[in-house]
Amino acid sequence: MDLFLTYTLVGLVMGAVYAIAASGLVLTYTTSGVFNFAHGAQAMLSAFLYWQLSVGWGLPVPVAFVLVVLVFGPLTGVLLHKTLMHGLRDVAEVTKVVVTVAVLLGMVSLSQWIWNPTEARSVAMLWGNSTSFELLGVRIRYHELLCLVAAAALAIGLRLLFTRSRVGVTMRAVVDDPDLLRLNGYNPDRVAMASWAVGASLAALAGVLVTPVAGGSLEANTLTLLVIDTFAAAMFGRLRSIPRTFVGALFLGLASTYLLGYAPTDWDWIGNVKTALPMIVLFLVLLVLPQDRLRGAQQRTRERTRVPSVRFAAGWAVAFVAIMFVITKIANPLMLGPWTAALAFSIIALSLVPLTGYAGEINLVPLSFGAIAVIVAYHTGVSGTGLDATLAWKGLLIGTVAAALVGGLVALPALRLRGLYLALATMAFGGLVSTLVLSEVTPRDWPIWGENTIFPAAVIAMPHLDAGPLDLDDEATFLMALAVLFAVLGVALVALRNSGYGRRLAAMKDSPAAAAMLGQSLVRLKLSVFMLSAAIAGLGCILMASAVGSVAPDNFLIVASLALVMLTVVGGVSYVSGALFGGFMVGMGFSLINGTFGNLEAGSDMYAGLFGSLSHVFAIAIALTGIGVNRNPSGIVNDICESYRPLRNARPVLYVGVAAGLVLLGLNWVEVIGDWSFAIGIFCVVVLLPVLGRIWMPERVLTESELAEHRSRAAVVPPELRALDGPLDPEERYDLDTYLGLPARALPALDETPSDLEATRV
Amino acid sequence: MSEPSGGAPLLETRGITVRFGGNTAVDDVSLSVAPGCVTGLIGPNGAGKTTLFNTVTGMQRPTSGRVLLDGTDITGRPVAKRAALGIARTFQRLELFLTLSVRDNVRVAGDIVNAGRRFRGGSIDVEAETDRLLELTGLTPIADREVSDIPTGRARVVEVARALMTKPRLLLLDEPASGQTEHETDEFAEMLAGLAATGLGICLVEHDLPLVMKLCSTIHVLDQGRLIASGTPAEVQASPEVVAAYIGGEVLA
Repeated sequence: MDLFLTYTLVGLVMGAVYAIAASGLVLTYTTSGVFNFAHGAQAMLSAFLYWQLSVGWGLPVPVAFVLVVLVFGPLTGVLLHKTLMHGLRDVAEVTKVVVTVAVLLGMVSLSQWIWNPTEARSVAMLWGNSTSFELLGVRIRYHELLCLVAAAALAIGLRLLFTRSRVGVTMRAVVDDPDLLRLNGYNPDRVAMASWAVGASLAALAGVLVTPVAGGSLEANTLTLLVIDTFAAAMFGRLRSIPRTFVGALFLGLASTYLLGYAPTDWDWIGNVKTALPMIVLFLVLLVLPQDRLRGAQQRTRERTRVPSVRFAAGWAVAFVAIMFVITKIANPLMLGPWTAALAFSIIALSLVPLTGYAGEINLVPLSFGAIAVIVAYHTGVSGTGLDATLAWKGLLIGTVAAALVGGLVALPALRLRGLYLALATMAFGGLVSTLVLSEVTPRDWPIWGENTIFPAAVIAMPHLDAGPLDLDDEATFLMALAVLFAVLGVALVALRNSGYGRRLAAMKDSPAAAAMLGQSLVRLKLSVFMLSAAIAGLGCILMASAVGSVAPDNFLIVASLALVMLTVVGGVSYVSGALFGGFMVGMGFSLINGTFGNLEAGSDMYAGLFGSLSHVFAIAIALTGIGVNRNPSGIVNDICESYRPLRNARPVLYVGVAAGLVLLGLNWVEVIGDWSFAIGIFCVVVLLPVLGRIWMPERVLTESELAEHRSRAAVVPPELRALDGPLDPEERYDLDTYLGLPARALPALDETPSDLEATRV
Repeated sequence: MSEPSGGAPLLETRGITVRFGGNTAVDDVSLSVAPGCVTGLIGPNGAGKTTLFNTVTGMQRPTSGRVLLDGTDITGRPVAKRAALGIARTFQRLELFLTLSVRDNVRVAGDIVNAGRRFRGGSIDVEAETDRLLELTGLTPIADREVSDIPTGRARVVEVARALMTKPRLLLLDEPASGQTEHETDEFAEMLAGLAATGLGICLVEHDLPLVMKLCSTIHVLDQGRLIASGTPAEVQASPEVVAAYIGGEVLA
């Protein structure tokens, strides 16, 4: 009985912490419509700050606690809302998700910069680990009591806030109808900002409370992924109801404690199941949630894309393969490794193009699906050992199919619901793979499979594919094989988008209600595209593993997946070239930046600190590019395409560009400039060419209105320079009159004001 | 209720009630739509017309009541299934595929139909049918424009063309004439009459009462969720309840 009570207490405490975190998440989601994937990261940052203040600098615990929970928390909330979330109302779900994911990655990088992750840190309970009292034979520590009291107070407080106070009622109104609220004289933005402040403060509170309860040692990734447990609890209330979220949180806390407490001691895997329990429960809850109503009344989002023709894509595919061929000839042989890795990651990123780019659905963990494919391919297709080992076609195929099937299984429960639920389900799946699959590093006696290990000794050596006459062990050949595969897949995806299937995906993305009304089964269509996407991710991951040589669980981390997804969206997720951007940033950018700065750091005593910091600065800068998706949701590739479109009329500019490229290539060939200078030079040419076009041949490049603006800017002479030599036009006279305080004569009325024109448009 | 000659109704609602919390949007409405003619559904704003459409198409589950198509109960069927059975609609607040061109908006409806019938045969020639419908609805000149760039009146016609692509038996039009110029409305009315003549059952929600009076053989009038009158245009115009519901609002033509 005592034991049961003790378990119950521990479970309730855990549940209370989940509840505190989850209610913050629900609060911000309902009032701003932005699901904060960085909620756990905020908790993590707060916990580290609390450690710094109380342990590192020795401030009294209450002071540190107040500074973190009541000052730092609200400040980050307000800052996030002011700078980012505020502008996320008229963008697609993907953009919202990626912006908060970027915040998550940025916060992780920041914490690793400030607090070296290799040092161990621990946080004690408030009032120490031993201050306790006994009740009914159960020892209750004050810290645990505080968790319970805080959660209970929060439950009551939020209830009162929403039903009794003016602010709370307006918060609820923001959810229902922000426009109506605005009409009634309230500012929905201010209400949303208040909720972000409260939500961030709750994240901070949860961060400070959870660490000692969960063992005491501070670990950035674990705390960051607390968000998964948190949204599992919030799922009980459909991400909206706070009371049901509390029920869910307490259920999760109790269930995981009982599970661990009462399981037979020889079940060594039960600890992992306990960690994974929130994710398992999340899938169960998804199964029973009622289907979403089809809502009409779409709004136009800021994303813009163009669909290239198949012929255009095929032309670029040939050019791409040719460029890669040249690169294998001129690049430093040592660089071929990063090039192949980058191409393999680009293929993984391609998986997002049909799913996210065409269909608007989100998979946050392509690498976790890839991990399944790698494991299956390893067990079914690898023969021989050491240098003789090869991967058979069979393994590649079965691995790819396995990823597709698992993808279908994972997505199915979430497909009846809004896109966000699918994103959450995939992230939970990522957590499941990490805790239950990638941790299976020792042999175990499986029911059918027999004595075997899923992930033997935490390293899978993936040999190259046995491709008959093609010797893929040769790096240049493998690189070219990947380049050709990427090009073929890219053209196939463009062809897919131009087919009836692709149009149906676009229709579903633009208006699910209208697509369903025309007879489209949304679930079936989403399922098919998700399986296609998972298959591509699986194929790409097998190739990535074989490009890298051997993979460990760390290669499939959720944060690595998140970075890949984010960078692909930054590049432009509707474009094959956007996938190329994402793949190269992850496969090449990261390793080069870290490698380069690592070498610099090792090579220079004086500037070691500087170079060490610079690599962190770069990691954060990459996260900032994800945050920049907010400003430019269509992606970098789209921007570049749009800037090059007008240059079709200005051929000479393009010739100059090609000539500059060839000169750089020649200089690199004769080794006057190195590979890096060559790459930077090409980058400059690509970026500066549209600018050159505007300056050199404005009449051919600019649109009529831009040209008119350009001319008027060139022609305008301010009145003070012109004096009274020429007659003033009515507008200038009006300005001058107002400036001098004279009664202004009315401007001549315009026939059609722009706003009237707008009103007649869709 | 005067049932137009032609036998069984195409669509029948029996005692449809929809409540949102304490608010009753549709209150025990039983009405029918016959094939081969245009049936009007009118009423002041908030009368429950769009909500009724939503229950017929499956986008809103009624609190009670049944929806019958050709005598078959379809109340529990999902939206996409009903579309396959021959129900199509347009939306009051436009639901176009904003990233597609006008032509592709129509064409994708054919793609959807063909994908659904892949294993059952009877697929349609999407390209030819798209051209025919664009011609019929007068959209050919703007077929390659982005659908987000065209005026609202034309956009409503795109929705009609798209709905026709599924070869429906019942077409529900939710305020299709709003945003159209007078000339466009005339052409539109002519087209609807032509479509009805081919046997299509059309149910028209519209605030342009002269248009409704001209086109419809039967008119149902909703007010605050309740059906207050049904009959020919002349009967409806003579109904005291209808006049009372519209006092202060539009004047019946």
